[in-house]
Amino acid sequence: MTLKKLTILSAAAFLLLGGCAQKKPTPGDSSNISDSSSITGDTINIDESGGAAGGANGSADGMKSLYFGFGGYELSSDMTGTVAFNANAVRSKLQGGTKIKLEGNCDEFGTDEYNYALGLKRANAVKDGLIAEGISSSQITMVSLGESNPQCQEATDGCYAKNRRVDLRLAR
Amino acid sequence: MRYLIIALFTLQLFAVDASLKIEKDVEQRSRFSVVDMSGGSAGGLGDKFFNTMISDLKISGHFLPDETHHRESMQSDIVAPNLKSQEYVLKYSLSQAGGLSISVKLFRATDASLVATRDYAIPSAEKYPFLAHKVISDINTILQLPDISWINRYVIYSRYTGVRKSEIIIADYTMSYKKSVIRGGLNLFPKWADKEQSSFYYTSFGDALPTLYRINITNGSKSRITSSQGMLICSDVSSSGGKLLLTMAPDGQPDIYEMSAGGGSPSRVTNFAGIDVSGKYADGDRSVVFVSNRLGYPNIFKQSLGGGSVSQVVFHGRDNNAVDTFEDKVVYASKEGGGTFNLYLTNTGGSDTRPLTSSGSNQFPRFSVDGSTVLYIKQSTGSSSIGITNLGSNQTLLFPFGGKVQSIDW
Repeated sequence: MTLKKLTILSAAAFLLLGGCAQKKPTPGDSSNISDSSSITGDTINIDESGGAAGGANGSADGMKSLYFGFGGYELSSDMTGTVAFNANAVRSKLQGGTKIKLEGNCDEFGTDEYNYALGLKRANAVKDGLIAEGISSSQITMVSLGESNPQCQEATDGCYAKNRRVDLRLAR
Repeated sequence: MRYLIIALFTLQLFAVDASLKIEKDVEQRSRFSVVDMSGGSAGGLGDKFFNTMISDLKISGHFLPDETHHRESMQSDIVAPNLKSQEYVLKYSLSQAGGLSISVKLFRATDASLVATRDYAIPSAEKYPFLAHKVISDINTILQLPDISWINRYVIYSRYTGVRKSEIIIADYTMSYKKSVIRGGLNLFPKWADKEQSSFYYTSFGDALPTLYRINITNGSKSRITSSQGMLICSDVSSSGGKLLLTMAPDGQPDIYEMSAGGGSPSRVTNFAGIDVSGKYADGDRSVVFVSNRLGYPNIFKQSLGGGSVSQVVFHGRDNNAVDTFEDKVVYASKEGGGTFNLYLTNTGGSDTRPLTSSGSNQFPRFSVDGSTVLYIKQSTGSSSIGITNLGSNQTLLFPFGGKVQSIDW
Protein backbone atom coordinates (compact mmCIF):
# COMPACT_ATOMS: atom_id res chain seq x y z
CA MET A 1 0.00 0.00 0.00
CA THR A 2 1.46 3.38 -0.91
CA LEU A 3 1.97 6.01 1.72
CA LYS A 4 -0.55 8.24 -0.04
CA LYS A 5 -3.27 5.55 0.08
CA LEU A 6 -2.46 4.84 3.69
CA THR A 7 -2.76 8.52 4.53
CA ILE A 8 -6.11 8.82 2.77
CA LEU A 9 -7.45 5.73 4.53
CA SER A 10 -6.15 7.02 7.89
CA ALA A 11 -7.76 10.37 7.32
CA ALA A 12 -11.05 8.75 6.38
CA ALA A 13 -10.95 6.52 9.44
CA PHE A 14 -10.26 9.43 11.74
CA LEU A 15 -12.96 11.53 10.16
CA LEU A 16 -15.46 8.71 10.75
CA LEU A 17 -14.30 8.15 14.32
CA GLY A 18 -13.94 11.88 14.89
CA GLY A 19 -17.52 12.64 14.09
CA CYS A 20 -18.29 12.78 17.77
CA ALA A 21 -15.17 14.79 18.56
CA GLN A 22 -16.82 18.15 18.02
CA LYS A 23 -18.17 18.44 21.54
CA LYS A 24 -15.91 19.87 24.17
CA PRO A 25 -14.01 17.18 26.11
CA THR A 26 -14.43 17.08 29.84
CA PRO A 27 -12.43 15.26 32.50
CA GLY A 28 -13.64 11.73 33.01
CA ASP A 29 -15.77 11.81 29.87
CA SER A 30 -15.66 8.28 28.53
CA SER A 31 -16.37 9.49 25.01
CA ASN A 32 -12.95 11.13 24.76
CA ILE A 33 -11.04 9.58 21.91
CA SER A 34 -7.76 9.83 23.76
CA ASP A 35 -6.89 7.82 26.81
CA SER A 36 -5.51 10.51 29.09
CA SER A 37 -6.33 8.56 32.25
CA SER A 38 -2.64 7.81 32.77
CA ILE A 39 -2.02 11.46 33.64
CA THR A 40 -5.09 12.20 35.69
CA GLY A 41 -4.33 10.38 38.94
CA ASP A 42 -3.38 12.43 41.95
CA THR A 43 -0.27 11.39 43.84
CA ILE A 44 0.62 11.13 47.51
CA ASN A 45 1.94 14.02 49.56
CA ILE A 46 3.48 12.74 52.79
CA ASP A 47 5.01 15.00 55.42
CA GLU A 48 7.48 13.31 57.77
CA SER A 49 8.81 16.52 59.33
CA GLY A 50 7.88 15.29 62.79
CA GLY A 51 9.71 11.98 62.34
CA ALA A 52 12.76 10.61 64.08
CA ALA A 53 15.31 11.65 61.44
CA GLY A 54 17.49 14.69 61.95
CA GLY A 55 19.47 15.14 65.14
CA ALA A 56 22.70 16.90 65.96
CA ASN A 57 25.82 16.42 63.91
CA GLY A 58 29.25 16.07 65.44
CA SER A 59 30.35 13.71 68.21
CA ALA A 60 28.85 13.52 71.71
CA ASP A 61 29.20 11.80 75.10
CA GLY A 62 32.82 12.88 75.52
CA MET A 63 34.06 11.38 72.23
CA LYS A 64 35.87 13.16 69.40
CA SER A 65 35.25 12.98 65.63
CA LEU A 66 37.89 11.56 63.30
CA TYR A 67 38.74 13.31 60.03
CA PHE A 68 39.82 11.68 56.75
CA GLY A 69 41.60 12.79 53.57
CA PHE A 70 39.87 13.25 50.22
CA GLY A 71 38.50 9.91 49.03
CA GLY A 72 40.28 8.07 51.87
CA TYR A 73 38.99 5.63 54.46
CA GLU A 74 42.15 4.34 56.17
CA LEU A 75 43.00 5.18 59.78
CA SER A 76 46.33 7.01 59.85
CA SER A 77 48.77 6.49 62.73
CA ASP A 78 47.90 9.88 64.25
CA MET A 79 44.21 8.89 64.36
CA THR A 80 44.75 5.81 66.52
CA GLY A 81 45.31 8.02 69.56
CA THR A 82 41.88 9.58 69.08
CA VAL A 83 40.32 6.14 68.70
CA ALA A 84 41.93 5.02 71.99
CA PHE A 85 40.74 8.23 73.67
CA ASN A 86 37.17 7.55 72.50
CA ALA A 87 37.24 3.93 73.66
CA ASN A 88 38.40 4.96 77.12
CA ALA A 89 35.83 7.76 77.31
CA VAL A 90 32.84 5.43 77.08
CA ARG A 91 34.14 1.95 77.98
CA SER A 92 32.43 1.94 81.37
CA LYS A 93 29.11 3.12 79.87
CA LEU A 94 28.69 0.25 77.40
CA GLN A 95 26.26 -1.85 79.38
CA GLY A 96 22.52 -2.49 79.42
CA GLY A 97 22.28 -2.34 75.63
CA THR A 98 24.11 0.98 75.23
CA LYS A 99 26.30 0.97 72.11
CA ILE A 100 28.71 3.29 70.33
CA LYS A 101 27.02 4.61 67.19
CA LEU A 102 29.41 5.53 64.37
CA GLU A 103 28.13 7.94 61.71
CA GLY A 104 30.23 8.05 58.53
CA ASN A 105 30.15 11.32 56.60
CA CYS A 106 31.52 12.65 53.31
CA ASP A 107 32.09 15.92 51.51
CA GLU A 108 29.79 16.86 48.65
CA PHE A 109 32.02 15.39 45.93
CA GLY A 110 31.40 11.98 44.49
CA THR A 111 28.05 10.64 43.43
CA ASP A 112 25.11 9.11 45.24
CA GLU A 113 25.85 5.47 46.11
CA TYR A 114 29.64 5.65 46.05
CA ASN A 115 29.66 8.51 48.54
CA TYR A 116 27.49 6.57 51.00
CA ALA A 117 29.79 3.54 50.69
CA LEU A 118 32.78 5.82 51.34
CA GLY A 119 31.14 7.11 54.54
CA LEU A 120 30.50 3.55 55.63
CA LYS A 121 34.09 2.47 54.97
CA ARG A 122 35.25 5.35 57.19
CA ALA A 123 32.91 4.23 59.96
CA ASN A 124 34.12 0.65 59.48
CA ALA A 125 37.76 1.75 59.85
CA VAL A 126 36.92 3.43 63.17
CA LYS A 127 35.02 0.31 64.23
CA ASP A 128 38.13 -1.81 63.57
CA GLY A 129 40.15 0.67 65.63
CA LEU A 130 37.71 0.49 68.55
CA ILE A 131 37.77 -3.33 68.42
CA ALA A 132 41.57 -3.17 68.60
CA GLU A 133 41.10 -1.07 71.77
CA GLY A 134 39.04 -3.85 73.33
CA ILE A 135 35.50 -2.74 72.47
CA SER A 136 33.30 -5.65 71.42
CA SER A 137 31.95 -5.65 67.86
CA SER A 138 28.47 -6.22 69.32
CA GLN A 139 28.77 -2.91 71.19
CA ILE A 140 29.19 -0.89 67.98
CA THR A 141 26.58 0.12 65.40
CA MET A 142 27.20 2.04 62.18
CA VAL A 143 25.35 4.16 59.64
CA SER A 144 26.58 6.10 56.65
CA LEU A 145 25.03 9.52 56.19
CA GLY A 146 26.98 10.26 53.01
CA GLU A 147 26.99 13.97 52.25
CA SER A 148 23.64 14.59 54.00
CA ASN A 149 25.13 15.69 57.33
CA PRO A 150 27.69 18.48 56.71
CA GLN A 151 29.23 20.43 59.58
CA CYS A 152 30.23 23.17 57.19
CA GLN A 153 28.61 24.32 53.95
CA GLU A 154 31.09 26.80 52.51
CA ALA A 155 32.86 26.03 49.23
CA THR A 156 36.38 25.88 50.71
CA ASP A 157 38.91 23.07 51.14
CA GLY A 158 38.92 23.64 54.91
CA CYS A 159 35.16 23.26 55.00
CA TYR A 160 35.13 20.13 52.87
CA ALA A 161 37.75 18.59 55.21
CA LYS A 162 35.41 19.07 58.20
CA ASN A 163 32.75 17.01 56.42
CA ARG A 164 34.99 13.97 55.71
CA ARG A 165 34.60 12.57 59.19
CA VAL A 166 33.19 9.93 61.51
CA ASP A 167 31.08 11.12 64.43
CA LEU A 168 30.69 9.01 67.57
CA ARG A 169 27.88 9.02 70.11
CA LEU A 170 26.18 6.62 72.47
CA ALA A 171 22.90 5.05 71.45
CA ARG A 172 20.55 2.41 72.79
CA MET B 1 24.62 9.71 -6.37
CA ARG B 2 23.70 12.09 -3.56
CA TYR B 3 23.76 9.21 -1.07
CA LEU B 4 27.11 8.03 -2.44
CA ILE B 5 28.59 11.48 -1.87
CA ILE B 6 27.13 11.61 1.64
CA ALA B 7 28.51 8.15 2.37
CA LEU B 8 31.95 9.08 1.11
CA PHE B 9 31.97 12.28 3.12
CA THR B 10 30.77 10.36 6.18
CA LEU B 11 33.61 7.86 5.85
CA GLN B 12 36.16 10.63 5.40
CA LEU B 13 34.97 13.19 7.86
CA PHE B 14 32.87 11.59 10.58
CA ALA B 15 35.84 10.95 12.83
CA VAL B 16 36.68 14.62 12.93
CA ASP B 17 33.30 16.32 12.44
CA ALA B 18 30.17 14.84 13.93
CA SER B 19 28.11 17.68 12.46
CA LEU B 20 27.91 15.91 9.11
CA LYS B 21 25.80 13.11 10.61
CA ILE B 22 23.57 15.67 12.27
CA GLU B 23 23.09 17.48 8.94
CA LYS B 24 22.06 14.20 7.35
CA ASP B 25 19.64 13.50 10.18
CA VAL B 26 18.11 16.96 9.76
CA GLU B 27 17.22 16.09 6.16
CA GLN B 28 15.35 13.02 7.34
CA ARG B 29 13.20 14.79 9.93
CA SER B 30 9.75 16.13 9.10
CA ARG B 31 9.23 19.87 9.09
CA PHE B 32 6.44 20.55 11.57
CA SER B 33 4.48 23.66 12.58
CA VAL B 34 2.18 24.09 15.53
CA VAL B 35 -0.74 26.52 15.40
CA ASP B 36 -2.41 27.71 18.61
CA MET B 37 -6.14 28.43 18.21
CA SER B 38 -6.79 28.75 21.97
CA GLY B 39 -7.34 32.50 22.09
CA GLY B 40 -7.87 33.53 25.71
CA SER B 41 -9.11 30.15 26.89
CA ALA B 42 -5.62 28.82 27.63
CA GLY B 43 -5.20 31.27 30.51
CA GLY B 44 -1.56 31.69 31.45
CA LEU B 45 -0.51 28.39 29.93
CA GLY B 46 -0.35 29.50 26.28
CA ASP B 47 3.40 29.90 25.83
CA LYS B 48 4.36 27.17 28.34
CA PHE B 49 2.19 24.58 26.63
CA PHE B 50 3.42 25.52 23.18
CA ASN B 51 7.09 25.45 24.27
CA THR B 52 6.66 22.03 25.89
CA MET B 53 5.27 20.58 22.68
CA ILE B 54 8.14 22.09 20.68
CA SER B 55 10.65 20.50 23.10
CA ASP B 56 8.92 17.14 22.70
CA LEU B 57 9.03 17.42 18.92
CA LYS B 58 12.74 18.29 19.02
CA ILE B 59 13.85 15.53 21.39
CA SER B 60 11.86 12.90 19.48
CA GLY B 61 14.47 13.08 16.75
CA HIS B 62 11.71 12.69 14.16
CA PHE B 63 10.67 16.28 13.60
CA LEU B 64 12.21 19.62 12.71
CA PRO B 65 9.78 21.93 14.53
CA ASP B 66 9.11 25.50 13.49
CA GLU B 67 9.61 27.40 16.77
CA THR B 68 7.34 30.32 15.79
CA HIS B 69 4.27 30.41 18.04
CA HIS B 70 1.65 30.70 15.29
CA ARG B 71 -1.72 31.89 16.54
CA GLU B 72 -5.11 31.93 14.84
CA SER B 73 -8.07 33.60 16.46
CA MET B 74 -10.69 31.56 14.57
CA GLN B 75 -11.14 27.79 14.66
CA SER B 76 -10.52 26.54 11.14
CA ASP B 77 -9.20 23.58 9.16
CA ILE B 78 -7.37 25.81 6.73
CA VAL B 79 -3.59 25.56 6.55
CA ALA B 80 -2.18 29.04 6.06
CA PRO B 81 -0.18 29.56 2.83
CA ASN B 82 2.98 30.42 4.78
CA LEU B 83 2.92 26.94 6.37
CA LYS B 84 2.59 24.99 3.11
CA SER B 85 6.35 24.41 3.09
CA GLN B 86 5.98 22.27 6.21
CA GLU B 87 5.18 18.56 6.04
CA TYR B 88 2.73 18.62 8.93
CA VAL B 89 0.74 21.27 10.77
CA LEU B 90 -0.73 20.60 14.20
CA LYS B 91 -3.61 22.91 15.16
CA TYR B 92 -4.86 22.90 18.70
CA SER B 93 -7.25 24.65 21.06
CA LEU B 94 -6.42 24.55 24.78
CA SER B 95 -8.96 25.45 27.46
CA GLN B 96 -8.68 25.79 31.23
CA ALA B 97 -12.43 25.75 31.76
CA GLY B 98 -13.19 22.94 34.24
CA GLY B 99 -9.71 21.44 34.34
CA LEU B 100 -7.59 21.34 31.22
CA SER B 101 -8.80 20.15 27.86
CA ILE B 102 -7.40 20.25 24.38
CA SER B 103 -8.60 19.45 20.89
CA VAL B 104 -5.92 18.79 18.30
CA LYS B 105 -5.99 18.26 14.55
CA LEU B 106 -3.05 17.09 12.50
CA PHE B 107 -2.91 18.13 8.87
CA ARG B 108 -0.62 17.24 6.02
CA ALA B 109 0.51 20.73 5.07
CA THR B 110 0.76 20.49 1.30
CA ASP B 111 -2.90 19.65 0.64
CA ALA B 112 -4.40 20.48 4.07
CA SER B 113 -5.69 16.91 4.35
CA LEU B 114 -6.72 15.91 7.84
CA VAL B 115 -4.54 13.10 9.20
CA ALA B 116 -5.96 12.80 12.72
CA THR B 117 -8.03 14.46 15.42
CA ARG B 118 -7.71 13.90 19.15
CA ASP B 119 -9.48 15.30 22.21
CA TYR B 120 -8.03 15.15 25.70
CA ALA B 121 -9.12 16.31 29.16
CA ILE B 122 -7.50 16.14 32.59
CA PRO B 123 -8.80 17.53 35.89
CA SER B 124 -5.65 19.37 36.96
CA ALA B 125 -4.06 22.16 34.91
CA GLU B 126 -0.80 21.83 36.83
CA LYS B 127 -0.15 18.59 34.96
CA TYR B 128 -0.15 20.43 31.63
CA PRO B 129 3.36 19.16 30.66
CA PHE B 130 2.08 15.57 30.70
CA LEU B 131 -0.83 16.60 28.48
CA ALA B 132 1.60 18.17 25.98
CA HIS B 133 3.81 15.07 26.09
CA LYS B 134 0.80 12.82 25.54
CA VAL B 135 -0.31 14.82 22.47
CA ILE B 136 3.11 14.65 20.82
CA SER B 137 3.60 11.01 21.76
CA ASP B 138 0.26 10.16 20.15
CA ILE B 139 1.04 12.20 17.03
CA ASN B 140 4.32 10.31 16.75
CA THR B 141 2.43 7.02 17.02
CA ILE B 142 -0.17 8.08 14.45
CA LEU B 143 2.64 8.78 11.98
CA GLN B 144 4.03 5.29 12.72
CA LEU B 145 7.40 6.62 13.83
CA PRO B 146 9.62 4.80 16.37
CA ASP B 147 8.10 4.93 19.83
CA ILE B 148 8.76 7.96 22.05
CA SER B 149 6.33 7.12 24.84
CA TRP B 150 9.19 7.61 27.34
CA ILE B 151 8.33 11.32 27.25
CA ASN B 152 5.13 10.49 29.18
CA ARG B 153 6.96 8.98 32.13
CA TYR B 154 7.55 10.38 35.58
CA VAL B 155 11.04 11.30 36.72
CA ILE B 156 11.58 10.73 40.44
CA TYR B 157 14.41 12.27 42.41
CA SER B 158 15.53 13.13 45.92
CA ARG B 159 17.15 16.36 47.05
CA TYR B 160 18.49 17.66 50.32
CA THR B 161 16.48 20.40 52.00
CA GLY B 162 18.77 20.83 55.04
CA VAL B 163 21.15 18.93 57.28
CA ARG B 164 19.76 15.36 57.46
CA LYS B 165 16.60 16.48 55.69
CA SER B 166 15.40 15.68 52.20
CA GLU B 167 12.38 15.38 49.98
CA ILE B 168 11.40 13.04 47.18
CA ILE B 169 9.86 14.68 44.15
CA ILE B 170 8.15 13.40 41.01
CA ALA B 171 8.38 15.44 37.83
CA ASP B 172 7.99 15.25 34.09
CA TYR B 173 11.17 14.86 32.07
CA THR B 174 11.45 18.62 31.45
CA MET B 175 11.07 19.40 35.19
CA SER B 176 8.24 21.79 34.31
CA TYR B 177 5.92 19.78 36.58
CA LYS B 178 7.29 19.00 40.04
CA LYS B 179 5.48 17.66 43.07
CA SER B 180 6.90 16.64 46.42
CA VAL B 181 5.63 13.19 47.39
CA ILE B 182 7.60 12.69 50.63
CA ARG B 183 9.04 15.66 52.50
CA GLY B 184 10.62 15.99 55.90
CA GLY B 185 12.85 13.32 57.42
CA LEU B 186 15.74 11.80 55.54
CA ASN B 187 14.43 9.65 52.68
CA LEU B 188 16.78 9.00 49.78
CA PHE B 189 17.55 6.89 46.68
CA PRO B 190 14.06 6.62 45.11
CA LYS B 191 13.81 3.89 42.47
CA TRP B 192 10.74 2.97 40.41
CA ALA B 193 9.41 -0.44 41.43
CA ASP B 194 7.67 -1.31 38.15
CA LYS B 195 7.46 -0.24 34.54
CA GLU B 196 4.02 1.22 35.17
CA GLN B 197 5.51 3.60 37.78
CA SER B 198 2.78 2.82 40.26
CA SER B 199 5.22 2.37 43.20
CA PHE B 200 8.78 3.24 44.11
CA TYR B 201 11.43 2.02 46.54
CA TYR B 202 13.33 4.39 48.80
CA THR B 203 15.68 4.28 51.77
CA SER B 204 14.44 5.78 55.02
CA PHE B 205 16.83 6.89 57.76
CA GLY B 206 13.99 7.47 60.21
CA ASP B 207 14.38 4.05 61.83
CA ALA B 208 17.24 2.64 63.91
CA LEU B 209 18.74 1.09 60.76
CA PRO B 210 18.54 2.28 57.14
CA THR B 211 15.33 0.67 55.89
CA LEU B 212 14.05 0.02 52.37
CA TYR B 213 10.36 0.73 51.76
CA ARG B 214 8.09 0.42 48.73
CA ILE B 215 5.25 2.91 48.47
CA ASN B 216 2.35 3.28 46.04
CA ILE B 217 2.23 6.83 44.62
CA THR B 218 -1.53 7.03 44.36
CA ASN B 219 -2.91 5.29 47.45
CA GLY B 220 0.10 5.63 49.75
CA SER B 221 0.18 1.97 50.76
CA LYS B 222 3.64 1.29 52.13
CA SER B 223 5.54 -1.92 52.84
CA ARG B 224 8.88 -2.51 54.53
CA ILE B 225 11.25 -4.59 52.38
CA THR B 226 14.38 -5.01 54.53
CA SER B 227 16.89 -3.19 56.77
CA SER B 228 20.66 -3.20 57.00
CA GLN B 229 23.31 -1.79 59.25
CA GLY B 230 25.52 0.85 57.61
CA MET B 231 23.81 1.46 54.29
CA LEU B 232 21.00 0.09 52.16
CA ILE B 233 20.08 1.20 48.65
CA CYS B 234 17.86 -0.30 45.97
CA SER B 235 20.14 0.13 42.95
CA ASP B 236 18.05 -1.62 40.32
CA VAL B 237 14.87 -3.58 39.68
CA SER B 238 14.76 -6.51 37.24
CA SER B 239 12.78 -6.28 34.01
CA SER B 240 9.90 -8.23 35.53
CA GLY B 241 9.98 -6.21 38.75
CA GLY B 242 10.42 -9.43 40.72
CA LYS B 243 14.07 -9.05 41.77
CA LEU B 244 16.07 -6.22 43.32
CA LEU B 245 19.76 -5.40 43.30
CA LEU B 246 20.71 -3.83 46.62
CA THR B 247 23.85 -2.20 47.92
CA MET B 248 23.93 -3.17 51.57
CA ALA B 249 26.37 -3.87 54.38
CA PRO B 250 24.99 -6.30 56.99
CA ASP B 251 28.52 -6.81 58.32
CA GLY B 252 29.77 -3.30 57.60
CA GLN B 253 31.12 -4.12 54.15
CA PRO B 254 29.33 -2.47 51.18
CA ASP B 255 28.62 -5.17 48.60
CA ILE B 256 25.93 -5.96 46.05
CA TYR B 257 23.11 -8.33 46.96
CA GLU B 258 20.09 -9.65 45.10
CA MET B 259 16.73 -10.35 46.70
CA SER B 260 13.16 -11.06 45.72
CA ALA B 261 10.88 -8.02 45.65
CA GLY B 262 8.42 -10.11 47.63
CA GLY B 263 10.82 -10.54 50.54
CA GLY B 264 13.17 -13.25 51.78
CA SER B 265 16.87 -13.22 52.49
CA PRO B 266 19.19 -11.26 50.19
CA SER B 267 21.88 -13.31 48.48
CA ARG B 268 25.36 -11.86 48.13
CA VAL B 269 26.49 -11.15 44.55
CA THR B 270 29.88 -9.48 45.08
CA ASN B 271 32.40 -10.05 47.86
CA PHE B 272 35.20 -7.51 47.97
CA ALA B 273 37.00 -5.83 50.84
CA GLY B 274 36.73 -2.37 49.23
CA ILE B 275 33.65 -0.69 47.74
CA ASP B 276 31.12 -2.36 45.39
CA VAL B 277 28.01 -0.25 44.69
CA SER B 278 25.41 0.67 42.04
CA GLY B 279 24.60 -2.82 40.77
CA LYS B 280 22.59 -2.71 37.51
CA TYR B 281 21.02 -5.62 35.68
CA ALA B 282 22.48 -6.21 32.19
CA ASP B 283 22.51 -8.77 29.37
CA GLY B 284 18.91 -9.85 29.88
CA ASP B 285 19.19 -9.69 33.67
CA ARG B 286 21.83 -12.43 33.56
CA SER B 287 24.70 -10.25 34.77
CA VAL B 288 25.34 -7.24 36.98
CA VAL B 289 27.34 -4.16 35.99
CA PHE B 290 28.58 -2.20 39.00
CA VAL B 291 31.03 0.39 40.36
CA SER B 292 34.00 -0.90 42.34
CA ASN B 293 37.30 0.48 43.58
CA ARG B 294 39.04 -2.90 43.26
CA LEU B 295 41.76 -1.35 41.07
CA GLY B 296 42.32 1.42 43.61
CA TYR B 297 39.94 3.91 41.96
CA PRO B 298 36.23 3.78 41.08
CA ASN B 299 35.61 1.96 37.81
CA ILE B 300 32.97 -0.14 36.03
CA PHE B 301 32.95 -3.95 36.26
CA LYS B 302 30.66 -6.85 35.41
CA GLN B 303 29.85 -10.17 37.04
CA SER B 304 27.53 -12.95 35.98
CA LEU B 305 24.64 -13.57 38.36
CA GLY B 306 25.35 -17.26 37.96
CA GLY B 307 28.76 -16.79 39.55
CA GLY B 308 32.16 -16.57 37.90
CA SER B 309 34.89 -14.00 37.84
CA VAL B 310 34.58 -10.23 37.75
CA SER B 311 35.54 -8.57 34.46
CA GLN B 312 36.49 -4.97 33.81
CA VAL B 313 34.09 -3.16 31.47
CA VAL B 314 35.69 0.28 31.16
CA PHE B 315 39.36 0.77 30.31
CA HIS B 316 39.32 4.54 30.25
CA GLY B 317 39.47 7.21 32.98
CA ARG B 318 40.60 7.08 36.61
CA ASP B 319 37.37 7.97 38.39
CA ASN B 320 34.24 6.37 36.90
CA ASN B 321 31.82 6.33 39.81
CA ALA B 322 28.31 6.24 38.33
CA VAL B 323 26.75 3.80 35.86
CA ASP B 324 23.49 2.69 34.31
CA THR B 325 22.58 -0.09 31.89
CA PHE B 326 19.99 -1.01 29.31
CA GLU B 327 20.31 -4.59 28.01
CA ASP B 328 23.96 -4.62 26.83
CA LYS B 329 24.34 -0.83 26.72
CA VAL B 330 26.31 0.90 29.49
CA VAL B 331 26.45 4.61 30.25
CA TYR B 332 28.91 5.91 32.84
CA ALA B 333 30.23 9.17 34.28
CA SER B 334 33.98 9.79 34.21
CA LYS B 335 35.80 12.50 36.17
CA GLU B 336 38.21 14.30 33.89
CA GLY B 337 39.86 16.98 36.06
CA GLY B 338 38.92 20.51 37.02
CA GLY B 339 35.48 19.44 38.25
CA THR B 340 34.57 18.10 34.81
CA PHE B 341 32.52 14.92 34.57
CA ASN B 342 31.64 13.56 31.14
CA LEU B 343 29.30 10.77 30.14
CA TYR B 344 30.31 7.89 27.90
CA LEU B 345 28.29 5.19 26.17
CA THR B 346 29.75 1.71 25.79
CA ASN B 347 28.52 -1.88 26.04
CA THR B 348 28.99 -4.71 28.49
CA GLY B 349 31.82 -6.03 26.33
CA GLY B 350 33.61 -2.69 26.69
CA SER B 351 33.53 -1.86 22.97
CA ASP B 352 31.99 0.90 20.81
CA THR B 353 32.73 3.52 23.46
CA ARG B 354 31.76 7.09 22.56
CA PRO B 355 31.35 10.32 24.53
CA LEU B 356 27.89 11.76 25.09
CA THR B 357 29.02 15.05 26.66
CA SER B 358 32.15 17.12 26.20
CA SER B 359 32.14 19.79 28.91
CA GLY B 360 30.81 20.68 32.35
CA SER B 361 29.81 18.45 35.25
CA ASN B 362 27.50 15.74 33.91
CA GLN B 363 26.39 13.10 36.39
CA PHE B 364 23.60 10.67 37.34
CA PRO B 365 23.21 9.08 33.87
CA ARG B 366 19.97 7.10 33.51
CA PHE B 367 18.62 5.29 30.44
CA SER B 368 15.00 5.76 29.44
CA VAL B 369 12.77 2.71 29.80
CA ASP B 370 13.34 1.81 26.14
CA GLY B 371 17.07 2.59 26.15
CA SER B 372 16.71 5.16 23.37
CA THR B 373 17.55 8.18 25.50
CA VAL B 374 19.81 9.10 28.39
CA LEU B 375 18.82 11.51 31.14
CA TYR B 376 21.50 13.19 33.25
CA ILE B 377 22.11 16.14 35.55
CA LYS B 378 24.40 18.95 34.46
CA GLN B 379 25.60 20.91 37.48
CA SER B 380 27.00 24.40 37.24
CA THR B 381 27.70 27.04 39.86
CA GLY B 382 24.49 27.67 41.75
CA SER B 383 22.19 25.91 39.29
CA SER B 384 21.40 22.56 37.71
CA SER B 385 19.86 21.42 34.46
CA ILE B 386 18.37 18.13 33.47
CA GLY B 387 19.87 16.94 30.19
CA ILE B 388 18.16 14.59 27.75
CA THR B 389 20.19 13.03 24.93
CA ASN B 390 18.51 11.03 22.19
CA LEU B 391 21.07 8.35 21.34
CA GLY B 392 19.66 7.83 17.85
CA SER B 393 19.54 11.42 16.67
CA ASN B 394 22.26 12.85 18.97
CA GLN B 395 19.78 15.58 19.92
CA THR B 396 20.33 17.02 23.41
CA LEU B 397 18.07 19.37 25.33
CA LEU B 398 18.80 21.00 28.69
CA PHE B 399 16.05 22.15 31.06
CA PRO B 400 17.18 24.34 33.99
CA PHE B 401 15.79 23.64 37.44
CA GLY B 402 16.64 24.69 40.98
CA GLY B 403 18.35 22.62 43.63
CA LYS B 404 20.88 19.83 43.69
CA VAL B 405 19.86 16.24 43.00
CA GLN B 406 20.86 13.48 45.44
CA SER B 407 19.62 10.56 43.32
CA ILE B 408 17.32 10.23 40.31
CA ASP B 409 15.36 7.61 38.37
CA TRP B 410 12.83 7.59 35.52
